Order: sequence, then C-alpha cells, then structure tokens
Amino acid sequence: MTRPAIVLVSLLALQGAPLAAQERLDRTVPPTPGPAPAIRVPTWTRTTLANGAELVVTEKHDLPLVAVSINFVGGAYNFEPADKLGVAPFTAQMLSEGTTSKTADQLSEAQQMLGTQISTGVIGEGGSIGFTALKDKFEPALALVADMLVNSTFPAPALDRIRGRTLVQLQQAKDQPNAIASNVFAKVVYGTTHPYGRVMNETTVQAITRDDIVAFHAAYYRPGRAVISVTGDVQPAAVKAAVEKALAGWPAGGSRPSWQYAAAPSPQVTTIYLVDKPNAAQSVFAIGLPGPARDTPDFYVIQVMNNLLGGLFQSRLNHNIREVKGYSYGVSSNFAFGRGPGAFRAGGGIVTAKTDSALIEFMKEFRGAAGDVPFTDDEITQGKESLIQSLPRRFSSVNGIGSSVSSIFTQDLPHSFYQDYPANINAVTRDDLVRVARKYVDLRHLNIVIVGDRAVVEPLLQATGIAPIVRLDLEGRPVPIP
Amino acid sequence: MRHRLLTTTAALAAAMAFPAPAPAQRPSNAGNAINIPFERYTLPNGLTVIVSVDRTIPQAAVDVWYHVGSKNEASGRTGFAHMFEHVMFTGSGHVPYGMHDRLTEGVGGNNNGSTSNDRTNYFENVPANYVESALWLESDRMGFLLDQLDEAKFVAQRDIVQNERRQGIDNQPYGRAFEILTAATLPESHPYSWPVVGYMADLQRATVEDVKQFFRLYYAPSNATLAIVGDFDPARAKQWVARYFGDLPRGAPITRPAVPPVMLPSEQRLVFEDRVQVPRVYLAWPGAGDDSDDTPALDFLAQILSGPRTARLTKALVYDQQSAASVSAFNDTNERFGSFLIFITPRPGHPLTELEASADSIIERLKRDGPTPDELQRAAAGLEFSFVSALESNLGRAEMLLSGSVFHGDPAQYRTRFAQLRGVTAADVKRVANSYLGPGRVVLSIVPLGEADQASRPDQSRTVSVSPDGGHYIMEGK
Repeated sequence: MTRPAIVLVSLLALQGAPLAAQERLDRTVPPTPGPAPAIRVPTWTRTTLANGAELVVTEKHDLPLVAVSINFVGGAYNFEPADKLGVAPFTAQMLSEGTTSKTADQLSEAQQMLGTQISTGVIGEGGSIGFTALKDKFEPALALVADMLVNSTFPAPALDRIRGRTLVQLQQAKDQPNAIASNVFAKVVYGTTHPYGRVMNETTVQAITRDDIVAFHAAYYRPGRAVISVTGDVQPAAVKAAVEKALAGWPAGGSRPSWQYAAAPSPQVTTIYLVDKPNAAQSVFAIGLPGPARDTPDFYVIQVMNNLLGGLFQSRLNHNIREVKGYSYGVSSNFAFGRGPGAFRAGGGIVTAKTDSALIEFMKEFRGAAGDVPFTDDEITQGKESLIQSLPRRFSSVNGIGSSVSSIFTQDLPHSFYQDYPANINAVTRDDLVRVARKYVDLRHLNIVIVGDRAVVEPLLQATGIAPIVRLDLEGRPVPIP
Repeated sequence: MRHRLLTTTAALAAAMAFPAPAPAQRPSNAGNAINIPFERYTLPNGLTVIVSVDRTIPQAAVDVWYHVGSKNEASGRTGFAHMFEHVMFTGSGHVPYGMHDRLTEGVGGNNNGSTSNDRTNYFENVPANYVESALWLESDRMGFLLDQLDEAKFVAQRDIVQNERRQGIDNQPYGRAFEILTAATLPESHPYSWPVVGYMADLQRATVEDVKQFFRLYYAPSNATLAIVGDFDPARAKQWVARYFGDLPRGAPITRPAVPPVMLPSEQRLVFEDRVQVPRVYLAWPGAGDDSDDTPALDFLAQILSGPRTARLTKALVYDQQSAASVSAFNDTNERFGSFLIFITPRPGHPLTELEASADSIIERLKRDGPTPDELQRAAAGLEFSFVSALESNLGRAEMLLSGSVFHGDPAQYRTRFAQLRGVTAADVKRVANSYLGPGRVVLSIVPLGEADQASRPDQSRTVSVSPDGGHYIMEGK
C-alpha cells in the first residue's frame, strides 16, 4: 500500500533537486549538533528589609516588564485549623475585598488602570501576593499590594459571597473525575489526620467565620517569613528604596514554620480503591504512596528516575500505555517533593474497556524501573539532558526567573543550586536509579485509586488478581458491599 | 494536540470550565515596546520562511504552520485534520519513530502540535545547538511522511485521538456544550459547524488512504510557513533551510472552502441533560472572523462584560445580585468565522431563567448607552498587555509572526491589530454590541439528568441528544 506513495514523492523530489545545489544531501544522517550551550543562571542581589523580610532583585532588561511577588514560607498546612479548611484561600481572596481607604471596586479599578492584576493565593506550604506590570507602574502597583496586605478590612458580606461561590465549585468538583481521584487519593494515602490528607469540604467551609479570617491574616502575613522577589527591567538599589517605602507600615514579626509534620500513616498492603462513576468513558487512575521530602539526598536521582518512568513523553509509562497500547491520551508520574512526605503518584485517563490491561502495564513498568528492565545508557542520557538543558526555559520570562530564584530562599536551597544542578544530575548512576525505584515505588504498598464505571471495570480488575478491591464513595468513605 | 488536551475547542472549553481571572494590564508606552525584528522570504517551492533572532536564552523555537484545519474537512468525515496531526509524530522517510522526541525532549527541548479550524502547527523548542536537527525533522515529515506510514501506526493514533476526545469532551461535565452550540448556530454544510476533534463515529471511519490523500493535498511547502525564532545565526539557518526544504516539491493549488455569512433568523432554545449536578446556561451569537474589522471592538465588548469584578455582568450577577457563582463572556475568533459566547453558572436558588433575563437586561443597557470612557480605558489595558507578555517566549513571538503571515500575508500584522485595538472607541463597542448581540442566537441549558425543567424557559427549549453512534447531535424538531 505504501509503495506507490514512495515512488510519487521521490520522483517529485528529484525534479526539485536544483534547489539543493550544494553537496548531495543524505537525509538518513541526523545533523551533528554543536557543543551544548553553557547554562546561564541569572544573578541576583539579596538584602533584608528593616521589617525583616528578605528582598531578592534579579535584573532582566530586554523588555520593559517587572514581576513582583511577596512569597510566604509556610501555608495552609501550617496555619489552617483542621476543622476550618478553606480559611487560607478565603483569606487570600479577602485581601481583594477592600481596605481602610478603598472599596473592593476601587481596588480593582486602580489595578486595571495601572495595567496590572494583583494575584493572591495560599496553598499547602506557601503563599504569595504579587503582580506583573510594565516597569513604570511598579511603584503605584506595589503601593496597592502594601495597602491590601496591611489595611484590608475583611467585610463579612464578602466572606458569605466567597463561601457561596466555593460551595458551588465543591459541588461541581463531584462531577469531575480528575478532581474526585485527587481528593480520594489524598485521603487514602494520608488518612484524615496528616495535613496532606485534609481536603476542604462543605462542612469546613461552612464553619469559617470572619474572626477566623482576621486571625489567619494576623498570624500568617508577616514579614519574618516573607521572601520578596522583584524581577525585570529595574535597578536593585531603586527597588530596595521603593519596597522599603511601600512596606513601611508593615510591622516586623513572624518566623518560618518548623515543619514538624506527623508521620504519614503506616503503609497499607497494595489495594485497589474503586470509586463508581456510572457510564464514564474513561477510568481515571491515581496510583501511589507517601514519598520523600524535598530535602532528601535522593532528590537528583529521583528526578532522573521519574523522568524516565513517567515524566517524559517517551517515558516508560507513556510510551507503552499511550503510544504502543493506545489505552490513553497520556499517562505520567511525579513526586510532590514537599517539606513532608509528599506523594509519588502515577496515573491518567484510561479507556474504560482497557482498565484492567492498563493496570497490568502500570505494574509491569514499575517492576521494570525497579530492575526487571534496566534503563539503557541512552535512556539515562536523555533523562539527564532533558533536565539540564531545559533549565534556560525557566529563565526566559520575568515570572519564570522570579519563581526560580525565590524558590532558593523559600525552600532553603543552596545559593548555587542552579549552577550545581548539571553536575548533581550527571552524578546519577544506573544503580542509583534502581535503588530509588525500589525504595519509593514500593509495589507492596501502593494505593491504586480508580474512578470509573464500576459495573464494567470491577470484574475486569478482579480478574487481574493484582490487589483486593475496596469500594469508596466520592468522599473516600467505604461503601458497604450489598 | 499531541501531548496535552488542547484542540482549539477543547482549550476554550477548559478555559470556560475553570475561568481564570482575566489579566487586565495597560502599558502606557506599549506602542514603542512592541517590536519583533524579523526577516521573511520565500523559497522557489513556495515555502514561506520567517527568521527572528533573540539571544535572551540559548534556545530557539522552530514552528511550522500548515494552512489547513478542520474547516477543510467535510461533514461526516470530521476530526481528520487533527488526527492527521497525530500521524505526523509517527516517524517519516528518514526519521524512525522516536527520533523526533530523542532530538527534542531528549536533549532538553520539547515538541508539540495543535490543530484549529484553520491551521495546524508543529513546533520544537530546542537548545541552540539543535536548531539544525529540528529543521531536519520538520523537513522530513513535510517531504517523506508517507514512506513510513502503515496501517498499524495509523490505527494506534486513531485510538489515541478517540481517547483524547473521551478525556476532553465525553468524560467532562459540560464537555459537549461548545459542540452543541456550534452545531446549532451553523448549518451542517458550514465548514465551521463541526468540532476540531471530530465526532466519534467519523473518527472510526478514517482510513490510511484518507491520510495519504490529505498529506498530498495540504502538506506541501507551498501551503506551509516556517518560523525560526531565538538564539541562532541567521545566515547559517538560511543555509539549513535551503538544504533541508529546498528540494521538496511544490504542491498543487488548494481550493479553500467557501465560508458563507451566518445569520440566525431567530432565537434557538435548547436543553441538554448531562452528568452534572449544577446546571449552566450558555448564550451564543455568530460573531466576526479574524478577517473582520469588528474583531477588536468585540474583544473590548467581552472585556467590558466579564472578568474583573467591575465588569458589567460579573458585577451585576456575581457581586451585586449574587445569583451566579461565575459568569464569562468570550469573543472566540477564527480565521473567517467567530462566535460571541456567554456562560453563567448559578448559585443555588437562582433558576437559569432568572439569570438569562438578568444578563439580557445588562446587555440591553450596554447596547443602549455604550461603555463609559473609564471602562474603555480599563478594557484596553488588558488587551494591550497581552501583546507585550506574548513577546517573552520564542514560541510566543513565532506564533504572533506566523498568524499574521498566514492569515493576513504580513508577519507584522500584530502592529496593525495593536493600532486597531488602541483606536477602538465607545461608539465602536456600542455599534458591535447592537449589530452582533441581537435576537438571533442560541440559548443552551445544560442540566442534570432527568431535570430538563431546570432549563432556562424549559417550555420553550427543545431537547438535544447524542446520536446512538456518537456521530452528531439530534435536536428535537430541527
């Protein structure tokens, strides 16, 4: 079938040949690349403000842009009461609801007129408030940030509106198979006592009062745990003067959290947790277990191993399950790498009829990474180069540079982290890869969450004999088997 | 897309499912800031080439646009352009399967492709020393794709595309909304009436022979534009382009599909039952294409209606009345057709009928009075800033130059569009609000299974269902 096509194209190609007048082109030989470009890491200046906040300024002068982010070390896991989950993101949203001198609408219009939008957020282990703007709007926009940070009034009606909208979003999430899988995965892996297993729900959202918001704000938004990054077409000395002036009303105080987490629950024998989604076209998989913290000495080895197992497009998992088998539009794996035992998690959406076959392949690839099918030299080279030579893309935008540089200070990394990164990645050996795969992708203790059409997939999964099946509801509670 | 779920329609659906706060920024001196130095030339075989040097990071983007998309398909054979995009990643005459990823992500770069109604793109972001490799890869699949194609490879990609559809549309709450709106807005023969990802039954029908024909027709240098943007030596890059692309044969002339103007004579009201717990109402009007001078004013209109808390619909429905959890207005523009869309998610206790009426009264007031000068200035800020921020990445600059070149014959068309944006007046916005947001529209309610009475004005809404083979939508009484 293909031959006539070959003849046609080749003949036409010959007719066009005069264009390639130089030497004869052998298309079967890939071009030889020149030497790899040197990694250029941005340099920054770092100072401490009068109120104790750290300030990191990185210059980038090709466009008249500036990115500003006040980052906080610690987040919901450290500061949110367990029965009031949602206080952290609610407080972040309430910073836009008005200050002692401006209504919420006035704040919003001022940002729009300055050509910027101030974004706020608090997640598990960090938070931020910041903006990107043309450089000549830097100071007035920063003044708005300072006003929101220090003078917010937290009007009660705004809290009720945010609560009402959040309740609708929580209800919509129950229709969303990926959201269900994430929610149930967190609960089965970490239980309900570890902060990593806590998920905001209707009850905790209903319990939040204005007093809780005021208390969270007072405890959390303190310069003693802040890393302020300013990146772009600016001069460090002028930035420092502007930031000191803007934040003069922000009193000193606060410190970084101690990061004393409770231990993750003791590992459970590998189990399939099945959540029913009748008539679902796909089964969403989330397979994993608690992993190491970001400060593990295995960090670089795990990065390479995960890249090869489920990070790259041509990783073992995606190559097999998507490209060869065609069971999915894409599967992947990652390590969360928090301050505590962040999860290893693999998964993706699998066509319902192949739920069993796909699980068999996931298990096969996990065993392969652990030594059954050792990574080849070429795989390892790719796993390393893809990490090292992709660094420059982090440094192409003011926001990318700002978050890359500030993460050194929020995560307590060595200042030479990016300079040392290539050598640290290159030091990884094949034995290291096998060791971390065995250690962190522990086949005896996997939590296999599958959200799909139970009537179809349960008998299929049972027949694989891979693990016992426990039925859970959308909230991760056991469903009694009738 | 090959790697992530992003056909144009799906991307829009995703954006609408989780509306992000719209950035609104205003560069005062942006007119000076926006400049992309480039050079454009054409090879004798018709390949248009754009080179633009920027040494901010030691990487470059190689980006090829083929002027073909889903509007070049036919009813009953939908989804083909996008499925073809997948086949382009299965290897070609001199490039075995896997080599493409080996020489991009395997060396620190990445690659992807995407298909819209109008064009298909393929790109590589690579370290500076792999630009020649990327050109070799792109030239080989432009010239020699069919040499390596076989039935098994094709069937595997067809399965993957069907999974892409399941993941992005069929398994997503509200996932079918935009397909239904488009199908209801346009007659079945209209080239913009079917989804880019295609209907499931049509996907199953595609054959290897279709792939070959499609390739020969559309994947010639004379239907392609190549951009190289980033850190490279332009003289050497031009030599490489001549070397790898110069001997590929020119293609036959292409007949572009006729795109008849669209006028909905009256309102069409529809209800679709879906696996959702919260209902939603969608309003859709035929809009303007990228070829229309009205597009900038329609972009302003969308900015003035939703986004920041002071936008008209957002302020009224989400903040003042608190009847909606969210509201979004979009001006969706394709090469020669567009849609203006609004969707509203209610708060409990507020029927869709009430929300639709509230939205209509807000729109009527805007049509009567036009926007205020402040509103205009604020809206301009957001639209202008998107130009500046798009200049930060090699790929962003490449896409800007390519869309101007392919759709308008001028890579610097972004400057024209930017000048148009700065020139939009309150009268322009008022005029387009009146001429586009008229009575001829589609109102679609998506409601929980078995609860058609939750629709907006349920007694006047016709039921939509999916045909048994997944091939199209059945609209009761149409």
